[in-house]
Amino acid sequence: MALRLPITQLSAPGKFNHHCTKTSYNIHSALSWRRTLSPDSLISSSVSSLISPSSTTGKSYGVTCTSAQTTSAGAVNLGPGTPVRPTSILVVGATGTLGRQVVRRALDEGYDVRCLVRPRPAPADFLRDWGATVVNADLSKPETIPATLVGIHTVIDCATGRPEEPIKKVDWEGKVALIQCAKAMGIQKYVFFSIHNCDKHPEVPLMEIKYCTEKFLQDSGLTHITIRLCGFMQGLIGQYAVPILEEKSVWGTDAPTRIAYMDTQDIARLTFIALRNEQINGKLLTFSGPRAWTTQEVITLCERLAGSDANVTTVPVSVLRLTRQLTRFFEWTNDVADRLAFSEVLTSDIVFSVPMSETYKLLGVDAKDIVTLEKYLQDYFTNILKKLKDLKAQSKQTDIYF
Amino acid sequence: MAATAAATRAIFSNTCHYHHHGSKHPRIPSTFLGTVSHPKSTFYGYTTGFTAAQKSRHGHQFLLPRASAEDDNSGGDNEAETVQVQQQPPVSLSLDDVNPVGLGRRSRQLFDEVWRKFSGLGQISRTTRADDRDALDALLIREGPMCEFAVPGAQNTTVLVVGATSRIGRIVVRKLMLRGYTVKALVRKADEEVVNMLPRSVEVVTGDVGDPLTVKAAVEGCNKIIYCATARSTITGDLFRVDHRGVYNLTKAFQDYNNQLAQLRAGKSSKSKLLLAKFKSADALSGWEVRQGTYFQDVVAAKYDGGMDAKFEYTETGEAVFSGYVFTRGGYVELSKKLALPLGRTLDRYEGLVLSVGGNGRSYILILEAGPSADTTQSKLYFARFSTKAGFCRVRVPFSSFRPVKPDDPPLDPFLVHTLTIRFEPRRQRPIEGPMGMKQDPRSFKLIFEYIKATPTGQETDFILVSCTGLGIEPTRREQVLKAKRAGEDSLRRSGLGYTIIRPGPLKEEPGGQRALIFDQGNRISQGISCADVADICVKALHDSTARNKSFDVCYEYVAEQGRELYELVAHLPDKANNYLTPALSALEKNT
Repeated sequence: MALRLPITQLSAPGKFNHHCTKTSYNIHSALSWRRTLSPDSLISSSVSSLISPSSTTGKSYGVTCTSAQTTSAGAVNLGPGTPVRPTSILVVGATGTLGRQVVRRALDEGYDVRCLVRPRPAPADFLRDWGATVVNADLSKPETIPATLVGIHTVIDCATGRPEEPIKKVDWEGKVALIQCAKAMGIQKYVFFSIHNCDKHPEVPLMEIKYCTEKFLQDSGLTHITIRLCGFMQGLIGQYAVPILEEKSVWGTDAPTRIAYMDTQDIARLTFIALRNEQINGKLLTFSGPRAWTTQEVITLCERLAGSDANVTTVPVSVLRLTRQLTRFFEWTNDVADRLAFSEVLTSDIVFSVPMSETYKLLGVDAKDIVTLEKYLQDYFTNILKKLKDLKAQSKQTDIYF
Repeated sequence: MAATAAATRAIFSNTCHYHHHGSKHPRIPSTFLGTVSHPKSTFYGYTTGFTAAQKSRHGHQFLLPRASAEDDNSGGDNEAETVQVQQQPPVSLSLDDVNPVGLGRRSRQLFDEVWRKFSGLGQISRTTRADDRDALDALLIREGPMCEFAVPGAQNTTVLVVGATSRIGRIVVRKLMLRGYTVKALVRKADEEVVNMLPRSVEVVTGDVGDPLTVKAAVEGCNKIIYCATARSTITGDLFRVDHRGVYNLTKAFQDYNNQLAQLRAGKSSKSKLLLAKFKSADALSGWEVRQGTYFQDVVAAKYDGGMDAKFEYTETGEAVFSGYVFTRGGYVELSKKLALPLGRTLDRYEGLVLSVGGNGRSYILILEAGPSADTTQSKLYFARFSTKAGFCRVRVPFSSFRPVKPDDPPLDPFLVHTLTIRFEPRRQRPIEGPMGMKQDPRSFKLIFEYIKATPTGQETDFILVSCTGLGIEPTRREQVLKAKRAGEDSLRRSGLGYTIIRPGPLKEEPGGQRALIFDQGNRISQGISCADVADICVKALHDSTARNKSFDVCYEYVAEQGRELYELVAHLPDKANNYLTPALSALEKNT
C-alpha cells in the first residue's frame, strides 16, 4: 500500500516532520492517537516514503504523517503556462450534506465548479444538473487524484469518509495524498473543513484525524483556510424531525453536550466570503450556529413544531460508552467502535459552540442573516405539514375515482 | 409526496443497510434477503406510511429494552427471538403477517432500525444516509421552499437562453437550473464540448439566431427568453446578424408563438388581444371621422397651396380604405374615433396596439387622446409614428413608444385613453419606388384597414437582452458595435414583448456578489462588472415587475476618493434573500 504520486517529486528535504501515530487498539485497549512533533528529517525524502512501509505493513495501524515542506518555490510554480482562472474550483466530497451546498453556492456565485466524486454505479447526477463538472476519482486511490487538479485554482475539501468504511482510509490517507498533490501541482488555495474541538479529543478517531490533517495542511506550505464546524441543521431532519412526523421512536441521549447547529447553506455562504478574503489565508475559523442545543432541547422543539409528542427513547450515555468498550474487543467491530467514539465526547460536559461576533466582523456578515434552528425547523415543519395535507387531499380524490 | 416516500422508503431501505451489517453477523442467514422482497411486494404496495409506522412502534416495544442494553452482538438473539414469534403467530394477524419470510424480514428491519438509531447516537455529525437523502433532497434542496435558491414559479417556467455558452450565458444557465427552471439552450453547434459545458438536463437546441427558421423551433414551449449572445467578431456582417437581426428574429418568433397560443385558447387566455375596431362591413366605418388641419398657417404660400383631401370609405371589394392627398405645406389629414371598449375592459391591461393594414407603404402617426372622458378639454395628446409597407402588414405600436405632444406631460396612461387618431402628413415620408419604377408622390396615401387590436400586457418581463455600454470595445469598432446593439435593442422595444435591456460595463471573469452595483440610465457608468453579477441580474429580473420595459446600465460601484462621489450607493451587496434589484430598478425610468 505504498502511497505514490505519479507527479513531480516533492523531493526537497523536509524541515519538519509531523507524526501521527495510531497505536493499534486491538492490542492496547486504549484508543490513542499520539501526536509528536519532531524535527526529524530522516523519513521524508520522497513522496513514496511519506507513509513509511513499516507502518503500513502487518496488522499494526501505524500512520506516519509527514509533510515535506518545500522551501524552494520551484515545486509550486510549474513554469509559464496559461494561468488558471481564479473562478475554477474543485470540490471534494461534493455529494455530502455540506459539499452539495458548497457546490450550489459556488455555481451561483459564478465559479466553474469541478466535483471530485467516487466512481459509482449511480452517478451523482444532480451535480451535473446544476452545471458542475464531475470527475471520477477516489481519495483512497492516490493515482487518480492528480488529473483532477489540472487547471484548478482552489480546492475545497468537504470530504469525510462514509460511516460504513474505515475512517483512516479516506480521512487520513486520502487527505494526505490530496494535500501533497495540491501542493505539488501548485493549487493556490486549499479550504479544509474540520471539526470544532478536534484538538481536545484525541480519543475520537475522526477528530484526531481531522486535527492531524489540520496540522499537516499547515505544514504543507499551501495557502489554506481551515474552517471548524460544529453541527449541521440538515442532519437533524433525518435524526429527529422525520421520525417524529412518521410517529416512529426518536432516540436521544441524556448527554449534557450542547451543539450549536448551523445551516449548511450559511456555512457555504460564509466559506466563500472567507475564500475571497486574502486576509484570512492561513487562519483557522470556527463557524457555529447562533445557539447551542442539547438533544433533549432539539427533540422538544421538534415536538412543539410538529404538534405531536415524540416517542422518545433516551439512551444513557453510559450505555453508549459500554457498547463502545465492548465492540473494541473484536476486530470486526472496530469500525463500529470508531463510530461510537463520539460518545466519549458526549460524556464530557462540553459545548460545541463559539462566539461568532469576531468572525462575523472579519467576514463582514450580518448576524441576523444566519438562520437559527428555530427558524429552520419551523420552515421545515410548515412546509412538510402543508405537503402532507396536500397529499391527503390528493389521496381522497383518488379514492373517489376508484 | 416526498413525505410518504420517505416513510415507505425508510422501511424498505433497511434491507440495503442491512447488507453491510449482515457481513458482520454470521448468524443471520443471508439467503433471507434474496427471497423476501417478492412475496411481500403487494403487501407493501398497499401499506401506507401510517401502518408501517404502527408496526414499527409495536416492534419497538418489543425489542427496545434489549437493544438498548446490548450491542450488536445481540443481533443474533433478537433474530432468534423473532423466530420464536413466527412459530407462534398471534391470531389477530392477517395471512401476510404470518408469512415467515415476511416476519423475518420485518424483524430484521426492526432490528436494523434500532441499531441504526443507536449507532447514530454515537456519531459526531450524522450524515444522512443515501436512501433517506433522495426524499429529503426533494424537499430541502431541489424544489423545496427551504432552499435559499428556490424561486416560486420557477417550476412552471421554461427559459430559453440564447448564447448559452457565452461567458454570461454559462452562468445564467447554471443559476436557472439551481432555481428549478426548465432551461432550453440555443447553441450554434451541439458538439460534445458544448454539451459538456451545459448542465445535463438542459434541452439543447441547435440553431443560429440569424436564421428565422431555427429560431422558431427554439422558442417553442418557452415562457421567457434571456439573450446573451454576442457577435464573435466586430465584422459588420457578424454584428448585423447576431446583435441586430438575431434579436429581431427571436422577438418575432416569440411573439408569433405567443399569438399562436392565444389563438389556440380562442381568446380565453390572458394572451389574447382585445378587438378595438374591425372593418368587415360598411357599418364599421361609422364613428370614424376624417379631419384635416395644418401645423402652421402659411400665409404667403397660400396661393400655391394644392389643398388636401381625404376620405374613408368602404369599397366594393370589401375594404375600408382611408386615402387622399395632402399638398398643403404643413398640412395633415387624420382619421379619428372615440373608442368604445367592451364592458369591464380597460386599456391598462394591454400594452400596445396592433394594426393590420395595407396600402402603399406610407408612415403614419398614431395619436392617442388621454384624459378623463367626461371632460375632453383636459385631454393630453400622445403620439407614435409607425411605418407600413406596400401591401398588407401588421404593425405593433406599444403604448411605451407613445410620447407626449407637450414634453412636460406625464407619460401615457393607457387607462385614460379615449380617442384614437391616425394621421397622415407628407413630411418625413420615405420615397418609395412605384411599380413602374417611377417615383410615387409621397404626398398621396392609401391605407386599407383590416383591424385594430390591443395586445395584452403582462406583469413580468418576457425577454431579457444583455447589450453593452460600449466601454471596453476597441475604439475603431465601437461605433459599429453600438449601432448594431442599439438596433437590436430597438427591435426588442418595438416588439411589444415585455423587455429588460441590461447594458453591463466591461465584463470581468470573477465571482459575483462581492461588490455593490450601480444601476443607471444615461451612459454615465465607468466601471466593469463580473459576468456572474450580470447573470444574477438576468435571473432576478425574470420575475420582477419593476424590471419590465426598462433599459439600464449596470456596473460595479465606483469607489471614489472621499468627497468626490458621483453616485449614491444604489444597491448593496447581494445577500441572502436580499433582493437588491427591485429597489434599484424602481428608481429608474420605464419604457426606455
